[in-house]
Amino acid sequence: MNRHTFIVAILWVVLTILGEALVAISDLSPLAAAKEAAIVDGAFRVLMVLAVPVVAFVIATLAYSIIRFRIRGEPSQDGPPIRSHGRLIAVWFAVTSGLTVLMVIYPGIIGMNELADLSHEEPDMVVKVEGMRFAWRFTYPEQNVSTFKELVLPVDKHVRFDVTSRDVLHSFWVPAFRMKIDAVPGMVTTVHATPDKTGTFGDDTQLRLQCTELCGLGHSIMTVPVRVVEQSEFEAWVAQQTQTARR
Amino acid sequence: MAVLTALRPIGKGLAFAVVGFLIGAGAATLLTTITDRPATQPVITLGYLFALIGWVLGVGLWDNWAREWFGLPVKNTEAFGWPRYFRFTTDHKTIGVQYLVTFVVLFLLAGLLSVLMRLELMAPGQTIMGAKDFNTTMSLHGIIMIAVAVATFLGGFANFTIPLLIGAEDVAFPRINALSYWIVPPVAVLLILTPFFGGFDTGWTAYPPLAVVNATGGLLFVLAFLTFGVSSILGGLNFLATIIMLRAPGMTWGRLPIFVWSIFAAALISLTATQFVAYGLLMIILDRVVGTAFFDAARGGKPLLYEHIFWFYSHPAVYIMILPGFGVALEVLTHFSRKPLFAYKYVVGAILAIVALSFIVWAHHLYTSGMPSYLHLPFMITTEIISIPTGVIFLAGLGTIWLGRLWLTTPMLFALAFLFNFVIGGVTGIFLADVPTDINLQDNYFVVAHFHYTIMGGEIFALMAGIYYWFPKITGRMHSEALGKVHFWWMFIAYQVTFIPMFWAGIQGMNRRVADYTPELGGINLFISVASFLLAASFLVMVYNLVRAWVRGPKASDNPWRARTLEWQTSSPPPLENFTRPPVVVGHPYDYGVPGSVHSAAAPAGGAGDKETH
Ligand SMILES: [Cu+2]
Ligand SMILES: [Cu+2]
Repeated sequence: MNRHTFIVAILWVVLTILGEALVAISDLSPLAAAKEAAIVDGAFRVLMVLAVPVVAFVIATLAYSIIRFRIRGEPSQDGPPIRSHGRLIAVWFAVTSGLTVLMVIYPGIIGMNELADLSHEEPDMVVKVEGMRFAWRFTYPEQNVSTFKELVLPVDKHVRFDVTSRDVLHSFWVPAFRMKIDAVPGMVTTVHATPDKTGTFGDDTQLRLQCTELCGLGHSIMTVPVRVVEQSEFEAWVAQQTQTARR
Repeated sequence: MAVLTALRPIGKGLAFAVVGFLIGAGAATLLTTITDRPATQPVITLGYLFALIGWVLGVGLWDNWAREWFGLPVKNTEAFGWPRYFRFTTDHKTIGVQYLVTFVVLFLLAGLLSVLMRLELMAPGQTIMGAKDFNTTMSLHGIIMIAVAVATFLGGFANFTIPLLIGAEDVAFPRINALSYWIVPPVAVLLILTPFFGGFDTGWTAYPPLAVVNATGGLLFVLAFLTFGVSSILGGLNFLATIIMLRAPGMTWGRLPIFVWSIFAAALISLTATQFVAYGLLMIILDRVVGTAFFDAARGGKPLLYEHIFWFYSHPAVYIMILPGFGVALEVLTHFSRKPLFAYKYVVGAILAIVALSFIVWAHHLYTSGMPSYLHLPFMITTEIISIPTGVIFLAGLGTIWLGRLWLTTPMLFALAFLFNFVIGGVTGIFLADVPTDINLQDNYFVVAHFHYTIMGGEIFALMAGIYYWFPKITGRMHSEALGKVHFWWMFIAYQVTFIPMFWAGIQGMNRRVADYTPELGGINLFISVASFLLAASFLVMVYNLVRAWVRGPKASDNPWRARTLEWQTSSPPPLENFTRPPVVVGHPYDYGVPGSVHSAAAPAGGAGDKETH
């Protein structure tokens, strides 16, 4: 190993350690309030951990080359005519292919399977969601309740959302659940979430349902508060809703 | 008087356009009266179609070309000096400059639109405009930048440099080339008119049903996009034919400069993929104008169908933008490292592999669209495989500068920054290719930051490298390198400060294409806005530097960078026929440091260069 390679290797290792330390101590993720969110955040972290050495390698090589190989003014000589390097290219292919396979499997396939396992469990509850310009309508078929005002969910219950749209495309996204699915006219799309923390939009704005598919004038205000409550509180809410509806 | 004469073709084009519009609008009025359907959209559509035909005929197609279809002698309306930029000319260098100037102006305009957007987003709540104007501003910014990203390379630099780089006199189809430029001004006119027709609020993606039911501005936008698509298809066709047919003797495929390879690849995509988006847009026009129901669910249509058609073009399209970016960056890195391009053959292989892969990854935009979930895995796999050929580009870039003699000129700085930006754009792309993370990140600012890192940090930085690299060749004048470096550092730093925080904003729940957001995001948005104003201001340095140099800069020598490729072996700017003696290629373009090696020699007098040897 010559001196240049050695220094870049050291630089790379140092940058990687610094970067990984930063990833370890900084918590980028905002409030997560569903089992699914933990899987998504886990996958995000894995990708951060994998990305750091890649970015660090490019920065280390780039920075060292610029500092060490620069010529002040116009170079009077050409560099060494190195056209290729068989072994380096082979190693490069092996490493990039290996990384790709790794990423596809973990967090890719493993994360997908974890999410699929959750969604394949029999849901405890179904909520029908209809998007329209510029509001969301939630219908709880088993409870026989329907509302536009807020999305109320019992904690620790696996909920399946059956989503559709009355007019144009919308998208159902609850940042705290990290889950998203488009609302498409003429189709029912599904998304699952298992809220595992109680809370309200007032506590944390991550607990909101936001439209994330551009739908026109009111797109940015097409948000509705989400409230995750204890089962008893949920039942009380249902009773109250039924009463108001009857009145 | 001279000005009037110079602008005569434009005037004639406008007059023909008015006549065309009246014919089309008249026919549409007649048809809608008979069939008893609403008239506005048909009148605009048919009127525009005929106005477009009238415009291209008037501006020069008739005099220079179409007359011969009817057995009439063509009139040559070519001009010299500045008037040549305002007419239908067939010289690829003139057309290249027409494209470059047009699209750099559009780039600055779309940049100004982003300043307006960032003003609105500076604080939560309404700042300077309502949601309607924001949507139009954002959508216009998007489509104009997409057009800039496609046409500055495939229209501008490809036109100016490809024939020079391969030692040809012109492109294969010079008149098609002129046509592909002259159908661009109507695109700009339509887009600028959209705010007067209710604006358009779909973004550049034009997803139906919204794109079918929105204001008439939406129709203008779709017509503009379709017209631009026709221009790109013609451009793709032309460069494929040029590169295949017109290489100088000895310019084998193995000696082709890497920028030529990248344009070859981009042209391949442009010719084939653009036709798909054209059909998708046509279906929207038909839904709007004659009441078909391709995308109307209530009448059996499928909105999701459009998303597939659209991305079947638009993912490959990002490679129409970025492959030439790779090409210019590697070209510049090689010449200013004074070393051969590292792993040249593997780079060519990687570029071609990217072309093939680009067609089978489109549904990574559709993980949350409601398409069947069994499609997630195959598209995740194909998308992540693209990292392997993309990795080869980095291998080549880093391998080339390694042990080189780096000459840190303005173009070189931009090319080096390209590598830095693109690695960030590349790794963040993995987060969006990966299904579990994309379900959360889709359609939020993480995506905005990612594609700006690839298209702006990647392609536009490469474009800047190309502008400063070829400026002396194109204009025959030398820009100020000192000001160029000021522009570079200013833009580079402001760029990072603007776009890095957008990743964070996305993770914190800021979704894209919104005029307003939850108040917690106010701080980060204020920061991004201020940084983006600084970024926008950096381009004033470029404009000042280049305009001043073009008007009264010092004369550039033929080869100020001492580069080996053919365009530098002729005068700056090159003569009409490009090379006074046709070049013969005898060696590799990048053999820096190889004793005694040469890339080209002028053909011996007597025209041996006419014998093609490929
Ligand atoms: Cu929306
Ligand atoms: Cu894509």
